[in-house]
Amino acid sequence: MQSIGLLDRTRRHFFSECFVGLGNIALGGLLSSGKLSAANTPRVENPLAPRAPHFPPKVKRVIYLFMAGAPSQFETWLYRPKLSEYDGQPVPDSFLEGKRFAFMERFMKDKLKLLGPRRKFQQHGESGAWVSEVFPHMASVADDLALVHSLTTENFNHAPAKLFLNTGSTRFGRPSMGSWLSYGLGSESHDLPAFVVLRSGEQSLMGGANLWSSGFLPTTYQGVEFLRSADPIPNLSTPKGISMERQTARLDAVRDLNLARLTEVGDPEISTRISSYEMAFRMQTSGPELMDLSSETQATLDLYGATPGKQSFANNCLLARRMVERGVRFVQCYQTGWDHHGNRQNNLNEKLDEVALDVDRPAAALIKDLKQRGLLDETLVLFGGEFGRTPMGEVRESVGRNHHIDNFPMWFAGGGIKAGQTIGEVDELGFFITKDKVEVHDVQATILHLLGLDHKKLTFRYQGRDFRLTDVGGHVVEKLLA
Amino acid sequence: MAIVVWGVLPLVAQLGSGQQFSADSVRFFENDVRPVLLTKCAACHNDELRTGGLSIESREAILAGGTRGEAAIPGSPDDSLLIHAIRRNGELKMPPGGALNPDELAALVRWVELGLPWPTQPHSGSPADEPSKHWSFQPVRRPREPTVSDTSWARNPIDRFILARHEKVGLTPSPEAERATLARRVYIDLVGLLPTPEQVDTFVADDRPDAYELLVDEVLASPHYGERWGRHWLDIARYADSNGYNDDGPRKIWMYREWVIDALNRDLPFDQFVIEQIAGDLLPNPTKQQIVATGFHRNTLLNLEGGVDFEQYRTEAVVDRVDTTGIAFLGLTLGCARCHDHKFDPISQREFYRFFAFFNSIDELSGEFNDKEGRERANEPVLELGTPEQHARREGIQAQLKVMEQELDRYKDQLIEKQSDWEASLSDEALQKLAPSQQAILKIPMDERHEVQHDVIRGAYFGQDFAYQERRKAIAAVKKIEPEVPSTLVMRELPQPRPTHVLLGGEFLNKGVEVTPGTPAALPTLPQKESHTRGDLARWLVDEKNPLTPRVTMNRMWQRYFGRGIVETENDFGTQGSPPTHPELLDWLASEFIAQGWSLKAMHRLIVTSATYRQSSAHRPDSKKLDPRNDLLSRQNRLRVESEIVRDLALSASGMLTPEIGGPSVFPAQPPDYMIRRTWKESEGPARYRRGMYTYFWRLSPHPGLMVFDSPTALTITTKRDRSNTPLQALTLLNDAGFHEFAQGLAQRILTESTDASNSERVNHAFRLCLARPPTEPEKERLEHLLAAQLDEFRTTPGAAKEILPLPTPENADIPATAAWTVVSGVLLNLDEFITRE
Repeated sequence: MQSIGLLDRTRRHFFSECFVGLGNIALGGLLSSGKLSAANTPRVENPLAPRAPHFPPKVKRVIYLFMAGAPSQFETWLYRPKLSEYDGQPVPDSFLEGKRFAFMERFMKDKLKLLGPRRKFQQHGESGAWVSEVFPHMASVADDLALVHSLTTENFNHAPAKLFLNTGSTRFGRPSMGSWLSYGLGSESHDLPAFVVLRSGEQSLMGGANLWSSGFLPTTYQGVEFLRSADPIPNLSTPKGISMERQTARLDAVRDLNLARLTEVGDPEISTRISSYEMAFRMQTSGPELMDLSSETQATLDLYGATPGKQSFANNCLLARRMVERGVRFVQCYQTGWDHHGNRQNNLNEKLDEVALDVDRPAAALIKDLKQRGLLDETLVLFGGEFGRTPMGEVRESVGRNHHIDNFPMWFAGGGIKAGQTIGEVDELGFFITKDKVEVHDVQATILHLLGLDHKKLTFRYQGRDFRLTDVGGHVVEKLLA
Repeated sequence: MAIVVWGVLPLVAQLGSGQQFSADSVRFFENDVRPVLLTKCAACHNDELRTGGLSIESREAILAGGTRGEAAIPGSPDDSLLIHAIRRNGELKMPPGGALNPDELAALVRWVELGLPWPTQPHSGSPADEPSKHWSFQPVRRPREPTVSDTSWARNPIDRFILARHEKVGLTPSPEAERATLARRVYIDLVGLLPTPEQVDTFVADDRPDAYELLVDEVLASPHYGERWGRHWLDIARYADSNGYNDDGPRKIWMYREWVIDALNRDLPFDQFVIEQIAGDLLPNPTKQQIVATGFHRNTLLNLEGGVDFEQYRTEAVVDRVDTTGIAFLGLTLGCARCHDHKFDPISQREFYRFFAFFNSIDELSGEFNDKEGRERANEPVLELGTPEQHARREGIQAQLKVMEQELDRYKDQLIEKQSDWEASLSDEALQKLAPSQQAILKIPMDERHEVQHDVIRGAYFGQDFAYQERRKAIAAVKKIEPEVPSTLVMRELPQPRPTHVLLGGEFLNKGVEVTPGTPAALPTLPQKESHTRGDLARWLVDEKNPLTPRVTMNRMWQRYFGRGIVETENDFGTQGSPPTHPELLDWLASEFIAQGWSLKAMHRLIVTSATYRQSSAHRPDSKKLDPRNDLLSRQNRLRVESEIVRDLALSASGMLTPEIGGPSVFPAQPPDYMIRRTWKESEGPARYRRGMYTYFWRLSPHPGLMVFDSPTALTITTKRDRSNTPLQALTLLNDAGFHEFAQGLAQRILTESTDASNSERVNHAFRLCLARPPTEPEKERLEHLLAAQLDEFRTTPGAAKEILPLPTPENADIPATAAWTVVSGVLLNLDEFITRE
């Protein structure tokens, strides 16, 4: 087998790390025929090979807890006692001039009345952050968080606003943040995708797969959704009756025949395909292992409130930790059920309590767990929705609030973040930002910065123009940085 | 505003023509001055209206001034009329709607002080300085065919253009590919299916000198040609079966897909193909099919999310039509000019909106539809194509329904009169059964409840009334028998055109000056007329004077055959696009296309019969040094086939294909739990095995088997697909339930088509079914080895054999052999060569 020394790196790697099965006999014939030579098998560029950042990064990976549907700031992080005083009163005209709200026509004309906070607030930790009673666990890690009150966004419909946070544009077709990161930094995992998406919650996730699309970047950089199914990745398990042994026999034959073709036509795409099959094989083993939570201690499961085999935000937070441990760079956990307009399915009464209960403990557990494992310093964790909600109530069967884009909160924790602080100020009724406005492109620039990337330099040429995640905007939010 | 900063701006020469301003001062103009001029002045003082004789749309126009003389004197704000007007300290007070704010005022004063800095043409020294001189805007001329020293290789003019370049750099063409390879290549490229071993044999044995040409003619005549090239066109049309955005409701537009397939099969000349899709509805006495063709621009997205302003998303759809038209036919990124003048190509923002105006008067959803009825009509305009019987039957049933619903309304009114009695009669027990929110509303006096609260209570009240329920059931029963009339989305013009405005910053609410329909000035002009319609645009796109459409179309056809266009940036023929590798060949093809009466089939035949196309695709170390990317085509390129074709090849190798053409979309096997918001009920029977292009396409969660192999998302136009090569593709081919079925199908085909054969002969047959060529000795040995081992195992454990077979087996089938061959077939379907056009 000394002629293997002539093969390119991909194939050496393949022979050294993979099973060499029954194919050796026939392959021996191919090798001795002299057709395999370095001359006709050029080196292959792996699009996911790790790439150096622009400058030394503060963190290696990101976990983004996305509260889909847009939580109300007034019942979670933004304490507005003045709003209680005005409860039930009409809104001063000056606040509404020139503003458009979703559902205005049907529900709000002549009926705009301010709605006092529906939950109690207390100060927590040394930082004295105000947190509402729906988030007791997150309140207990308040000193690990940097809370920003002053985000704004551009579009008050769910799908475009979610796209904006993910892709920097309210229109479809642009690459998502995770794809930009894979494109800029490559992958550090040999057996898992670099960008993984997890979902929980009963309601639909508006925007769908476009939220983790690679847009005009090569599809290699697309986010991979791990499903709420026996197969976390579509087609990860073998067809019924095909044992791993039989699968290995098939894979060996596929590899040998592909190698034969490679020697015949010399197309480097064939060696990429051989590597793809090798990685697919490894994913078949590592995927189920990753998803199997039974190896976690009961203490860890209890910390998150996770139950092996269940589909929940708690399980997803724990999976996120397991993924970042295994080199996944960007994990996004979507939780739906935050669109509290005030109808029976979505309201600030029992429905807020239900979804808050689902996310509070796991989100706090993630911070604690990462910290105790020494991973928090090299991980960035984000928590927030796609916009905020109005200071006015919405008149429906129950209590709720409408979409509001002029301020909404998000917290950041982990490496490079100055924790235990609150950034941004909002007027006393919670309409507008009065200090330290942070735009969506600023958040994106900051995330890239923490990963060692200059958001202005991470570009891709498409249709004659250099595109970037932050479009033409974006400033790193210096106040957030340690 | 930090006016102070601008006090130290360097001021470069300011008088005379062709002057240059410093980058800082131009940036100041763009950031702080231009927006004020556009929003506060341009509505009246534009090049078209020139109120008071003044336009502020160029520096020259401002200096020229209006009826009151020059508007500004560079460097002297206090002597400038414009500044007097905005300071409002004289007779003239501008803008009439109200004074500028102090920042805006200060910016304009500073700007005049600086000498009215204004950007010159971008990129001095580049062709953009004189964009109209850019190569792609020049008329198509038919170049002379070059002379070559090797006179034996070229088969048609294409080859002489290619060979001339080879000879210039010292390359030689590759030999012609093996006949079996050629047959497979032609079948895949023209129809997207595999030739049978018999078809390959016939061709290989055919010793007529024009055997190859005859094969090409035969394959081009197949009705599957329309499917193969129709799917390429659907990428451009951004075809999908759902609306997109978060609601992503289903839509019916498959008849448009059928129209495309049919139009290509009858080789409808390309100019007519374009005219019917852009404006078939505006043709004199259009046929129904010509109206169906206008579905092309109804493949835009539709946002029905609660609370949306329909006008915003209607605007987005019109913008998408401009983008798509620009890229599809002109190869120009018009979309760049939506918010500002195009930075590189000669397209102003105003020209963008003049183009926009052609598509702005479709009778489709707008602001006023923001109610329930509007949502139901959201798919309008729709063309119904039912039989007269279907229509008559539906009308009868609708009339009946109307009567029943009116009766129900009357009954509801009667009930409402008695509502207070009912509320008063509710026992505590009955109250407890109501939802908490309903109980709460009952406490509100009836005349203080709002509409929604009324609805909630009446839901409960009506719900317990027996006679009401019976009426509802009767209506539902009649609705069930209402026949579904086939329909498709189409274009229809409003009786009165919508006015079109420049949208400042691209924002739908931010209206600037009004514009009329028109095409960019750098391109050939429209015929002189008082006003222009979509029909004029359609004819203009394929006018002989328009050099872009034939070039762009031929370039894209070339790209499908060689993997890369003659212009690599197939969607950008503007100044930022890449120059053509073979400019003369491109022009020759464009002129030949027109000379052939815009016949696509004639051009396919020409390219496919060229010696260039017929070359082997094997890589060559010798040409690699001279031409590392194979730009000069000294060999063919190996191309991984498109997502739908991956499926189609497996279907045709296994013999399981349902060859039916056209019709509504179907639901082949898909991994479980994959859908977002929608359910996926798998098709059974023949519909389960149709070609990939008929798979129902939900924009929010498209079939993973398609997306894994780089299907377009159908959100915007796609002119070139990625050819990624990922582990997820490997997992799909290895483990997907659908592909596993195909493997069994292939196994059964091998066993039934070669009953008396040895395993060695069967391996041979299997190989030829999948790859058209026979295996080499080592390849055959390798598969026989696998087969023998699997047969051994399955013969000793027949239970395991049965278990791996997903489909029922024919009577008397040898189960262990079928299982072993299913394993071997799975290997063949996973080969790189199987999913590659060599």
